[in-house]
Formats: sequence, structure tokens, C-alpha cells
Amino acid sequence: MSIGLPSKRAPRTRRVVQGWVTGWNRVGNQAQFYFTTLGSVADAVVRYRVETLRLVAQMSLGTGTLAVIGGTIAIVGFLNISTGALPGILGYNQFADMGIDALTGFGSALFNVRLVAPLTAAWGMSATIGAGATAQLGAMRINEEIDALEVMGIRSIAYLSSTRVVAGVFVVIPLYCVAVLMAFLSARVVTTAMYGQSTGVYDHYFNTFLIPTNIIWSFVLAISMTVVIMLVHTYYGFTASGGPAGVGEAVGRSVRTSLVVSSCVVVLVSLALYGQSGNFHVGG
Amino acid sequence: MSVGDRAIRRVSTGAVAKPFGAVGGFYALALDTLVSTPQRPFAWREFLLQTWFVARVSILPTVMLAIPFAVLMVFTFNAMLMEFGAADYTGAGAALGIVTQVGPMVTVSVVAGAGATAMCADLGARTIREELDAMRVMGINPIQALVVPRVLAATVVALLLVSVVVLVGLTAAFVFSVFAQHVTAGSFVATLTVLIGRTDVVITLVKSALFGLSAGLIACYKGTSVGGGPAGVGTAVNETVVYSFVALFVINVIATAIGVKVTL
Repeated sequence: MSIGLPSKRAPRTRRVVQGWVTGWNRVGNQAQFYFTTLGSVADAVVRYRVETLRLVAQMSLGTGTLAVIGGTIAIVGFLNISTGALPGILGYNQFADMGIDALTGFGSALFNVRLVAPLTAAWGMSATIGAGATAQLGAMRINEEIDALEVMGIRSIAYLSSTRVVAGVFVVIPLYCVAVLMAFLSARVVTTAMYGQSTGVYDHYFNTFLIPTNIIWSFVLAISMTVVIMLVHTYYGFTASGGPAGVGEAVGRSVRTSLVVSSCVVVLVSLALYGQSGNFHVGG
Repeated sequence: MSVGDRAIRRVSTGAVAKPFGAVGGFYALALDTLVSTPQRPFAWREFLLQTWFVARVSILPTVMLAIPFAVLMVFTFNAMLMEFGAADYTGAGAALGIVTQVGPMVTVSVVAGAGATAMCADLGARTIREELDAMRVMGINPIQALVVPRVLAATVVALLLVSVVVLVGLTAAFVFSVFAQHVTAGSFVATLTVLIGRTDVVITLVKSALFGLSAGLIACYKGTSVGGGPAGVGTAVNETVVYSFVALFVINVIATAIGVKVTL
């Protein structure tokens, strides 16, 4: 790579070019890691089945202090209770302003499925499962356990990274069920119990405007963003360096990146699924 | 030892007491920070460095996160409004969503995800290298020297970033609505202030400052109570993210409900 001596000719240009080259190489390394991980998924399922099952158990219920408060499922459910209430609070008050507060159920059916539940689940996943994976893999890298795996002839990317991607996809399906249900429930409770709308009105508009295919599409959304989140987090864990502080920094960087990337995935997949017009019809 | 004694011992030392201990520790740190904030000497240098650091790591992710969020929000809103034949009100919906929800949430998730994690990693590494104990031995209060400037830095940056998010978000919403969904530019701009006024903006600023404060406090608590080597630091950072997200979402619901009461 670069030499230690300062160059004499055009130092600024050189530095800029070097920056580009480093960035370009980093993109290349990431792409290579991601493709290797995805390519080794079959290996992970066939050869490292026990490890995958162990990770599924660990991811769904959490480790360390996170297990005390109920693990990933409890956290994602809880986050969705609090965000699912937002369409209820905002929707009820704004609709009431226009005299159409009966339509709050419709707000929940539209916004919770398309917007709130996927994004909240993405954040919850990235904070719990994802950051946990980065912390684990980073600690393994710092303690040279990953090198030890390689020496023992175990395909480290398949064993550590692909298994986590597979386990993430397994975990996200029940997780996302909990997320959506909690979001619906909390919007309903806020609107009917706190703001005093009758449950019949709420349920009527909710059931009328809830499109079952939209929920299935939102599962597609959840699975695709899980794959992306797990890829990003395992990459940052795999390439952690610089001692204990380095592991912490890697976790921070991975959370930052995966928040941005998963939001972009949600937007692009939403546009692809629902089309430019929004594919939404009130008048039948 | 009777069964009751054993049960009490298990409660007092085991899994039940641990979370309560953590809550108590967090409360103690928050109180210490509050008491130390007005005390002199104030660590100006550390405060400026931390503010600059948090702002530097947060600004790009903030912009990158604000754009997709605003686009997704407007996309969903427009699907509804166009169906009602009220596409002219896109601006009102965008302003409502972005100012009251997207702005604070994006800001804080970035401050928590980018700034607080780095703070926690830094403090955690210092804790396991026993640097904090060394400071105490030298008669320097680590709360005053390290925690107070970090907590204040997170608060200030969150407050500043939210305005960036709102501006970027509204611009992205405008571009997306006008160029991709063919909403009239004039009506978008004209309806921006239909639902949202000065009070909402003030509430948003207050909310973001609260978010930054709690993210900073959680990061500092987790960072100063690390144990167990490199894996411990990683776990602490992970817990920082989880706990700050949980705290922020709860604060958001309460603040939104109060804000709605105030403005309507």
C-alpha cells in the first residue's frame, strides 16, 4: 500500500487519489465478502446445521443482559408498541381536526403495514441481532479466534457469517409477525381506549382498508432487509481491528451503515412492490 | 438454610437484582452528571472536541437517512391523498410527518447509533484499561471531566442536527412529490404550514434535545460500567444501542401525545 515517506511531487493530488483508491478497494472488499457470504449459504445450511440452529436460538432470545429483558423478540415487540401508537395518536388528532376521525383505523391499516412496522423492525433488528453479531465477531477477530478457525480448516466466512445470515432470515419471520401484531394492537388500544373511539368503528375501517397482500409484501420487505442488515453487520465484525475500543467502534460504524442501507432497501423495495402510484384504492 | 432464605438470596444476588442494580446505577450517574454540570472548571476543550466528533460522524448518515425516510413517508401519504383527490395537500402531510416524527427520530437514531456507540466504546476501553480509576486517584472527577462534556455534546448536536434533517427531508419530499409524482410545486409549498406551526417546531427541538441527552447518558453509563475485556466493550456498545432506542421510542410516544395536546 502507501509508503511512509511524504511524497515530493504533487502531495495533495496524490493524497486525494490515494483516498479514492482506498475507498474503491474497500468497496471491492465489501462486495467480495458479501458475495462469498451469500455463495456459502448452502454450505452453512448443509455443513454447519448445528451452529445455525444455535444461532437461531441465541438471536431470538438474546444473550447476556439482553436475555433478562426478554431478548430480541421482546425488544422489537416493545419498539413496535411505541411506534405503532404514532399512527393512532397523530392520525386520530389530525383526522379529528378535519372531522373524519372514524378513519383512524384506516390510518393504522395503511401506515403501520407500509411504513412503521418495517422501519421499526429494521431498527430493532440492527440494534439487537446485528450489533450483537458485530460485537461477537469483532471480539473473535481481536482474540484471533477467526484465524484459529481458518488454521483448523473451517471455512470461517461460511461458519460465522453465512450461518448468521441464514439464522437471521429464520428469526425475522416470527419476529416480524410479533412486530406487525404489536403495531396494530397498540394503534387500536390508543385510539379506542385512550381517545375513546368505539371499537366497532375502528375495526370496520381497519378491516375494510387492510389489504392482505400488502402484509405479505411487507414480509418480503422484512426478509430482504434482514439479509442486508446481517451482511453489513457481519462484515464490520469480521474486519474489526484495534483492540477493545476497535470492537466498540466497529459496532457503532456497523449500526450507522446498516440503518442507512436498510432504510434505502425499504424505500427501493417499497417502490418496486407498490409501484409509483402507490397501488392503493379507497373507492374499490 | 430454609427454602425462603435461599429464595431471598437468589433474588438479592441473581438475575432479579441485576436489572434493578443497573437502573439504580444509571439513576446515580444521571444525578451525578446533573450535579456536576454547573461545577467549575467546566471541561470546555473536551466539550468542543466531543461536539465536533459527534457532529462529524453524524452529519453524513443523517442526510443519508433523512432522504429515504422523507421519500417513503411522502410516497405513502401521496398514495392516500391522491386517492382522496387531495394531492394539493401533499405539502401539509409531508411537513406533519417530517417535522413531528421523521426529524427527531432520524436525528436521534443517528446520534444514538453513531455518536453514542463511539462514546461508549471510547469510555469502555478507558474503563477496562483502568484509566478512570487512575483519574480518580489523581483527584480528577471522571464524571466532571469526561461524562458531562459528552452528555452535553450529544444534546447540542441532536438539537442542531434536527434542523438539518427537517430541511433535507422537506427538500427531498418536494423533489420526490414534484418530479416523481407530479404534484404542483406551488401547492406543495403553499400547504406546508397548514398543519404545522411554530409550536410544533419548538416541540420538535425540545424532543430532540431530550433524545440527545438520554442517548448521551445511556452511552456514558454503559461505557463507565463495562467489565470483561474486548467482548465486554462490544456487548456494552450493543446494549447502548438497544437501550437508547427503547428509551427514545418511549420518550417519542409520550412527547408526541403531549405535543398534540399542546398544539390542538
